[in-house]
Amino acid sequence: MNRFDPAVKTSAPSPDIDATLYEKSGKIYPRQVHGLFATARVAAATVLLGIFYLLPWVQWDGRQAVLFDLPARKFYLFGLTLWPQDFLYLTFLLMLAAYALFFFTALAGRLWCGYACPQTVWTDAFLWVERKVEGTRQQQMKLDQAPMSLRKFRLKATKHAIWIAFSLFTGFMFVAYFTPARELATRLSDFALGPWETFWLFFYGFATYGNAGFMREQVCKYMCPYARFQSVMFDNDTLVISYDARRGDPRGSRRSNTDPKLRGLGDCVNCTLCVQVCPTGIDIRDGLQYECIGCAACIDVCNDVMDKMNYPRGLIRYTTQHELEGGKTHVFRPRILVYGAILIALCTLFAWRLSQRVPVGLDVLHDRNQLYREAAGKIENVYLLKVINKDDATHRYTLQVEGIDGIALAEPGIVIEAASGAVVNVPLAVRAAESALPSSSTPVRFRITAEHDPALSVSAEAKFLGPAK
Amino acid sequence: MPLWDKTGWIPVPQRVAAVLWITFLMAGIATGAFFSAIDPQELKHCVSFPEVGRLGAYTIGFLLFWLLSASSALIAVFFVYPAPPPGAAPGLSEQPADTR
Repeated sequence: MNRFDPAVKTSAPSPDIDATLYEKSGKIYPRQVHGLFATARVAAATVLLGIFYLLPWVQWDGRQAVLFDLPARKFYLFGLTLWPQDFLYLTFLLMLAAYALFFFTALAGRLWCGYACPQTVWTDAFLWVERKVEGTRQQQMKLDQAPMSLRKFRLKATKHAIWIAFSLFTGFMFVAYFTPARELATRLSDFALGPWETFWLFFYGFATYGNAGFMREQVCKYMCPYARFQSVMFDNDTLVISYDARRGDPRGSRRSNTDPKLRGLGDCVNCTLCVQVCPTGIDIRDGLQYECIGCAACIDVCNDVMDKMNYPRGLIRYTTQHELEGGKTHVFRPRILVYGAILIALCTLFAWRLSQRVPVGLDVLHDRNQLYREAAGKIENVYLLKVINKDDATHRYTLQVEGIDGIALAEPGIVIEAASGAVVNVPLAVRAAESALPSSSTPVRFRITAEHDPALSVSAEAKFLGPAK
Repeated sequence: MPLWDKTGWIPVPQRVAAVLWITFLMAGIATGAFFSAIDPQELKHCVSFPEVGRLGAYTIGFLLFWLLSASSALIAVFFVYPAPPPGAAPGLSEQPADTR
């Protein structure tokens, strides 16, 4: 068969379909919107940006409250100090975050995208600057179409200068999560930042500038995996933003005093404001689309129009597929219950593990050069103990070993002293009578206990090797 | 079809994101996992490398992980596009010109 037969050609997308599927997207100028959800979004952005920019300045016990101290390999989270050995907790936190995302997505759609995602929050902040400098949507579009002039250059330069300053400040605050903020600020004012800190400051600053200033909705469309797979978490009872086609169609403009029913029209006046306010440039009236980040701007603007027309609000609203079809929404459905149960179980487990956490670590390594040797008529094994003091105070630990009758340290009465944060290596020998060994490899347990705090105790298992039986 | 071809079915930002962004995330995860298991100070004995400190080692490690995963993604994106049909003129992309 000829590979160039016409059927193959027609099965390829026609230029028209191509253009609508992958339209070369022009710049989107979202129109400013006021209303309940816009206020909620501003409030959420203020709180989240406030947390991001202020948290590194908060002190706790004489140190930065939240500090991912990478150079010292420890994370401070308020009263908690985590070490690389506590990697499990971070994994736990990530799992919690993932399940919380699943749960809230199934329940209420893309709440995260619309209100809390850093991409949305910083884009909104950048849009705010853009509006302050360049004016409204129409003024921005006019400015971009106009040829370069002194005024245009001044406005563009001002906007980018503010954006860049804001981005660099954001980059600085990002680095302040990894290097103490106060120290970093002093060194910045002395022009004494380290090369890596400078690199990350500019890297994060550049990412902020690019993502919030230019990429914007393209990040949601092309870069966000969540936007692509969130649909599998949706069902007919998930809260989505939707246009009520049964009420709105057929659409058409009309005078405010005419009865739309007489003209055979629905409630949608086809003012296209919902399209103009959309930060991703979609028409919500086309139905649920993956580009919709659930920001509810279209709800606010449509409600304004409905008020002006004296129609009831909610032509575009938070609703569910079931409700749109005239049914009822089921909040408590298996999906929600299962996600909820997993989430609660994970939270409980995490809290329990955290409460059981002992701030001392013990690793026991058997000597690699010699399996065992005979000493003083007994079998002797040599180990290397790694004691990690994860507490904020210096401790002295006593050591016990058990698991074989009569097993004992070659030099009894060892006390291991470890400063806060120190990893102490202790080589030591352990002896047991050959007759007491049940096999050539017997598990034994080492336990260290802090001298003045019996609760500060941890144990680790190792093998005691002997002659073949 | 080359990554920089602007006439393709998949927009350039999407292709760039496919290569750089996802691999950025993966490099972050790899860096976290690798360096929580291995202290760069301990690696000093095995590799002769100028003194860069831990922060420098993390950064270099991250960039290397990123380079590695991004190269593999770049090649993957390149190979995702179908090869030209047999007998097609060299340099012809997978879409016959008359459907454009």
